[in-house]
Amino acid sequence: MADDSPASHRRDPIKSSVGNVAAQRRRQNAVTVGKERRESLVRAKRLCRVGPSGDGDVPGEENDMVTDEEGFLLDAQTSSAVEDLKSAIAYQGKGAMQKRVNALRELRRLLSKSEFPPVEAALKAGAIPLLVQCLSFGSPDEQLLEAAWCLTNIAAGKPEETKALLPALPLLIAHLGEKSFLPVAEQCAWALGNVAGEGEELRNVLLSQGALPPLARMMLPNKGSTVRTAAWALSNLIKGPDPKAATELIKVDGLLDAILRHLRKSDEELATEVAWVVVYLSALSNFATGVLVKSDAILLLVERLATSNSLQLLIPVLRSLGNLVAGDSHTTSTVLIPGHEITDGVIKVLVKCLKSDHRVLKKEASWVLSNIAAGSIEHKQLIYSSEAVPLLLRLLSTAPFDIRKEVAYVLGNLCVTPTGGDGKPNLIEEHLVSLVQRGCLSGFIDLVRSADIEAARLGLQFMELVLRGMPNGDGPKLVEQEDGIDAMERYQFHENEDLRNMANGLVDKYFGENYGIDE
Amino acid sequence: MAMVVDYKHDSSFPYWTSIRRRFAPDSPFFSSGNIERELLAKQVALDFTEDERNQLEKMIDTDARGVFCPIVGCGARLTLLEDFEDHYNTRHTASCSVCSRVYPTSRLLSIHISEAHDSFFQAKVARGYAMYECLVEGCDLKFKNYKGRQQHLVDKHKFPTSFEFFKKAHPSKKQRLKNQRKRAVNKKDEEVPSKMEVENEMMEGLVSAVSKLSTSDSSPSTVSFGRRNARGLTFVPRSIQPPLQKK
Repeated sequence: MADDSPASHRRDPIKSSVGNVAAQRRRQNAVTVGKERRESLVRAKRLCRVGPSGDGDVPGEENDMVTDEEGFLLDAQTSSAVEDLKSAIAYQGKGAMQKRVNALRELRRLLSKSEFPPVEAALKAGAIPLLVQCLSFGSPDEQLLEAAWCLTNIAAGKPEETKALLPALPLLIAHLGEKSFLPVAEQCAWALGNVAGEGEELRNVLLSQGALPPLARMMLPNKGSTVRTAAWALSNLIKGPDPKAATELIKVDGLLDAILRHLRKSDEELATEVAWVVVYLSALSNFATGVLVKSDAILLLVERLATSNSLQLLIPVLRSLGNLVAGDSHTTSTVLIPGHEITDGVIKVLVKCLKSDHRVLKKEASWVLSNIAAGSIEHKQLIYSSEAVPLLLRLLSTAPFDIRKEVAYVLGNLCVTPTGGDGKPNLIEEHLVSLVQRGCLSGFIDLVRSADIEAARLGLQFMELVLRGMPNGDGPKLVEQEDGIDAMERYQFHENEDLRNMANGLVDKYFGENYGIDE
Repeated sequence: MAMVVDYKHDSSFPYWTSIRRRFAPDSPFFSSGNIERELLAKQVALDFTEDERNQLEKMIDTDARGVFCPIVGCGARLTLLEDFEDHYNTRHTASCSVCSRVYPTSRLLSIHISEAHDSFFQAKVARGYAMYECLVEGCDLKFKNYKGRQQHLVDKHKFPTSFEFFKKAHPSKKQRLKNQRKRAVNKKDEEVPSKMEVENEMMEGLVSAVSKLSTSDSSPSTVSFGRRNARGLTFVPRSIQPPLQKK
């Protein structure tokens, strides 16, 4: 974690004029709060949202479990702290500022003790309007920091609690400004990130209030916890489903450059947050995808996939790559040209993912390969002759269902030519024969037997290729050997018309009255 | 590499075609990879225990050779603590030299100055020009009066109705003068002029310290240590007279 804070307050100034004492005190206070905050950033725990059925609690650490009694006490203390804050704000005499900060700090501490802060009690006691007042322009940094911290934790809970922050949003956004004390800006970004994480409705409110540009600017520096918090908040803000925010983000001056810089050089934690931003940029916005494809992004994503072993990082990086391949035909046609070093690099890292123990990596890497295999004949040849195929064949017989389905897409795509204008793809006999000889047919027939409509369809389509395309009319025999007829006959009276017609059509054509007679 | 071309395509069978498949970010396709990420959709900022804090104290680096300015994007390095105050005042505060209100962005400051202190601005308003800018960056709409802009913020940008860009200072000038005179009479009363509420109140301790030193009757709130006047006329539009000294 980069230390960009003011230096230790242990040094004594040489001059001891009143001005310096005040300045020193101000910075001391801000440093203390800033430090506490930085520490808490490092330790920010994940808050599990309880699902509608009441389950979904991630078992926390033992001392985070709050008993009923403790909870009751906490609520009472919280209400009391809000009352204290109220009177502190009303007070206008000597030491008013310190009173306010102390009251805020007390409330903040109550709200930061555990993963389940007494938010309801705070809201009931009327905390929000008070906190909004504490955010007014010109307030001391310490005050802004504590108020934003309270709001952050209030927003970290249930949907209606997050929504309660509505009155505070314009001020939180304003304090992201370039003149703000950095820890203040960061804490506001954190609060806003929680709000954006709630849902589409709040996201739209934030966007309409101009939250995006200042958050984007906070991503521009090279390092610091602020950059990471801003990236995380942005990933929540642009996640759609409306692509407008993603498109707006990529257009921010210097942002593409910052993204590339972070992907290239930053530590894994920061790179992870930035990668999630890229995930949403590439999944939602065609414009952003185009911009990214033309930049060095793919190269940098490949680098990260090659060098990192952190699942947290690999998932969004792999997915970004997948989105860029899926979202823009230029990726495979102009960047990932077969024979170029970058293309070999991509295949290599995808193979690395196929070899990993992680289900998500295997599944999504297969998906990416299937899209590359949907490219030109040269792409198909490239994959066909790579290390990927033996791995895919093994996965087709042994992996969990969702992985097998993606693998099926890859293998099938390798066996047909690119879809031409007339929509009638031809077979690539060499690939088909080789793959069938290496035993992939049974895997496809298993898919036909699955309950998943899409998977069954894939299986039947592949069977059709085999029946049609194996030389010497070997297709039907091979299918029969693998109990393919049986699998197809299950669909004879199946409720799904499409599958029924497909299966019956194949049986009629290849296993009709004359089948077996010529043997 | 041989290809097989089938001339007898049965048009009713949906043949295998290789196409790119794209998924939306919230597609179920991605849900297994999203599980952990969803847990991070919201994050609580927690406190440390005493022990943990002590441990971290030891780990945290302190740069003995000076301070880095903590303001976003600045990165200036200052060798002495007291230099920081000067640096901060000259480079980072967006404070109004007329009324000392502070804003988090230069843009908001300049909007404030136009609207609150610029008679040229008021003249144009009086003649019916739309001068009040929308506060949201990038919106660019302008309105003929404060209320119209306010309504726009509420309607279009979902600002709360309680939001006020221009907050009147408490208490009124009359009241402050009263307080001033009261203080002159009663030296024991060290109440800080409430005008200070408008600016950074860290100055509060400062002024009371000065007032203790002073031999005069009133504790002048014009005492400023660089915070207000250092950049004096920089932000003031040419049409404004230098401000009368405050009470």
